[in-house]
Amino acid sequence: MEFLLMNHPLDCPICDQGGECDLQDQSMAFGSDRGRFTEVKRSVVDKNLGPLVKTVMTRCIQCTRCVRFATEVAGVQDLGMLGRGSGEEIGTYVEKLMTSELSGNVIDICPVGALTSKPFAFKARNWELKGTETIDVTDAVGSNIRIDSRGPEVMRIVPRLNEDINEEWISDKTRFCYDGLKRQRLNDPMIRGADGRFKPVIWRDALAVVAEMAHKVKPEEIVGVAGQLSDAESMMALKDLLNKMGSNNVWCEGNGSNRDADLRSGYIMNSSIAGLEKADAFLLVGTQPRVEAAIVNARIRKTVLAKQAQGWGPDTLLEIAERRHPFSSVLLNAKNPAIIVGAGLFERKDKDAIFSALETIAKYANAVRLDWNGFNVLLLKAAQAAALDLGLVPESENSIESAKFVYLMGADDVNLEKVPADALWFIKGIMATGVDDWKIIRALSEVAGVKLPYDTLGAIRSRIKTVAPNILNIDEREPATFSFSIKPESTKKMDSAPFGTAVDNFYMTDSITRASKIMAQCSALLLKK
Amino acid sequence: MASSLRHGLTKARSHILSRTRWFSSQSDALVEAKIPEVGIISGIPEQHLRRRVVIYSPARTASQQGSGKVGKWKINFLSTQKWENPLMGWTSTGDPYANVGDAGLSFESEEAAKEFAEKHGWEYTVRKRHTPLLRVKSYADNFKWKGLPKSEE
Ligand code: SF4
Repeated sequence: MEFLLMNHPLDCPICDQGGECDLQDQSMAFGSDRGRFTEVKRSVVDKNLGPLVKTVMTRCIQCTRCVRFATEVAGVQDLGMLGRGSGEEIGTYVEKLMTSELSGNVIDICPVGALTSKPFAFKARNWELKGTETIDVTDAVGSNIRIDSRGPEVMRIVPRLNEDINEEWISDKTRFCYDGLKRQRLNDPMIRGADGRFKPVIWRDALAVVAEMAHKVKPEEIVGVAGQLSDAESMMALKDLLNKMGSNNVWCEGNGSNRDADLRSGYIMNSSIAGLEKADAFLLVGTQPRVEAAIVNARIRKTVLAKQAQGWGPDTLLEIAERRHPFSSVLLNAKNPAIIVGAGLFERKDKDAIFSALETIAKYANAVRLDWNGFNVLLLKAAQAAALDLGLVPESENSIESAKFVYLMGADDVNLEKVPADALWFIKGIMATGVDDWKIIRALSEVAGVKLPYDTLGAIRSRIKTVAPNILNIDEREPATFSFSIKPESTKKMDSAPFGTAVDNFYMTDSITRASKIMAQCSALLLKK
Repeated sequence: MASSLRHGLTKARSHILSRTRWFSSQSDALVEAKIPEVGIISGIPEQHLRRRVVIYSPARTASQQGSGKVGKWKINFLSTQKWENPLMGWTSTGDPYANVGDAGLSFESEEAAKEFAEKHGWEYTVRKRHTPLLRVKSYADNFKWKGLPKSEE
């Protein structure tokens, strides 16, 4: 203990780790109450690791946990140990940023206050915070997190252990997006007046206007789009409302015009995230797990045996499907081959053809068996799976072109250029007012005269239970019962346009992260690089 | 105050009396119909006897502290009635249970927590507890012979 504390500054009162510091705990338990060290303490220059991690390197005790995390879990060789003896330092060898989507985890990893959170620096003490254990929504992984708040304000987000999903890591987007919650929020309903300006109105008026508009158009011209962060309750209410008004054009952002919600195995991670560790060959199609789901990427990395063939275009995929590509033999020889398909493909016109090619591959590689299902779809948005479970699929593929009335429930990324100019709008931001979306829809249904039969959370949940009982099982993973073997064959042709990237900017993918200053800094650095 | 208390008590007593009678006339299976025993006589206002709570076991903190406090079970009240007090900027709450769960209720086991919630008539959901999966690892593995190096593709 004395040796450890020899070069450690007596920083506790100004250190962000204070109160959750392993060294502090240890020295409280085992340390001496006075020091015998009379020499000068060493000092170390602080390193710049980017906008997320704050370093105070004199506090470092050279445990090298951060180095091991970076190399072994995150897979970047950025951190290392330099120098010898008392000149020993942790650092990036040359001044550079830590280029990992998981870099925030070194904050938790560091047992002392050498690496702390930059956005959280000097904001709060951890004993003032109240933790709420919950699930992350910034990607489709659903990492388990704890949101620490002080009073009404979110102060930080930390991971919590779940071996099936995120182990004990979370991505930087999850960890640092919270400042986006505090900015650019709508507090009142607003209506755009004749002069083009928005003016705040009370809820009753707003709902009356919307209900009136909804009745003016034909039922088929009503379209509802649920945002990527919507909860299952609101999506259920939205679908029920639109159905009651006679329209079935409702879907969730990111799912595109995907209309196969029939087979659950067609849109979930069939082998489960933890199950990916058992795989011995990976075929990633149209997906970049590093930016789409950084945590899944860490899993894949962990299973290093993988020889990955990342087909850059549909041609390669076709070659593999027809066993002309060298990778097909790898798949054939693999015991547990895993195919991961990016949900970005849902938006493509030729997606049926792609999926049938993939199914051919899965069949000959024997990827779907009773004891192993290696056909995975990596979704992008938190709401996607629930939306498909609830059957939020549009009736016609080009409903948006003929739409007159569009209900956007927090959907910001819909391509609205196709909507005819004379359409009447009802846009509702995701962060409106702190009122639950389902309550708004419920109120609207009453005003519009198509009253929905539930008015408590319990009631809406039991409605969900009749549609998709699996959603209500918190913390449980529901495997799909049928796989695609019963799906009809598709005979469509693939189009040879390369698979696009689904996520260009890891740090900004939804309205919360786009409003976040920290994420803006990160992506500015990302672009500069 | 006193009169209202007494009033509450008489009401409670009549509840209990009616309940006893009801029990005797019905079969035993109906005892399960959740009637909060504590609730009736404690004078807790009606609306707080129907609280929705979450029973969970707090996860170990992500940072590197000891695990002495891990493994307890907690009851968490779902409450959102919070606001920043305009006078001092402190957080105010309109919910008497807002701080009870975190500060006051800690149980040794899931069953104990459930029983407590049932006794008070709270509607609960239980969250699964996640425990770490310990894998055997050895430092020496880093230097193990893993066959000829694979060529980088
Ligand atoms: S984890 Fe913290 S204390 Fe350990 S080597 Fe890294 S910076 Fe130093």
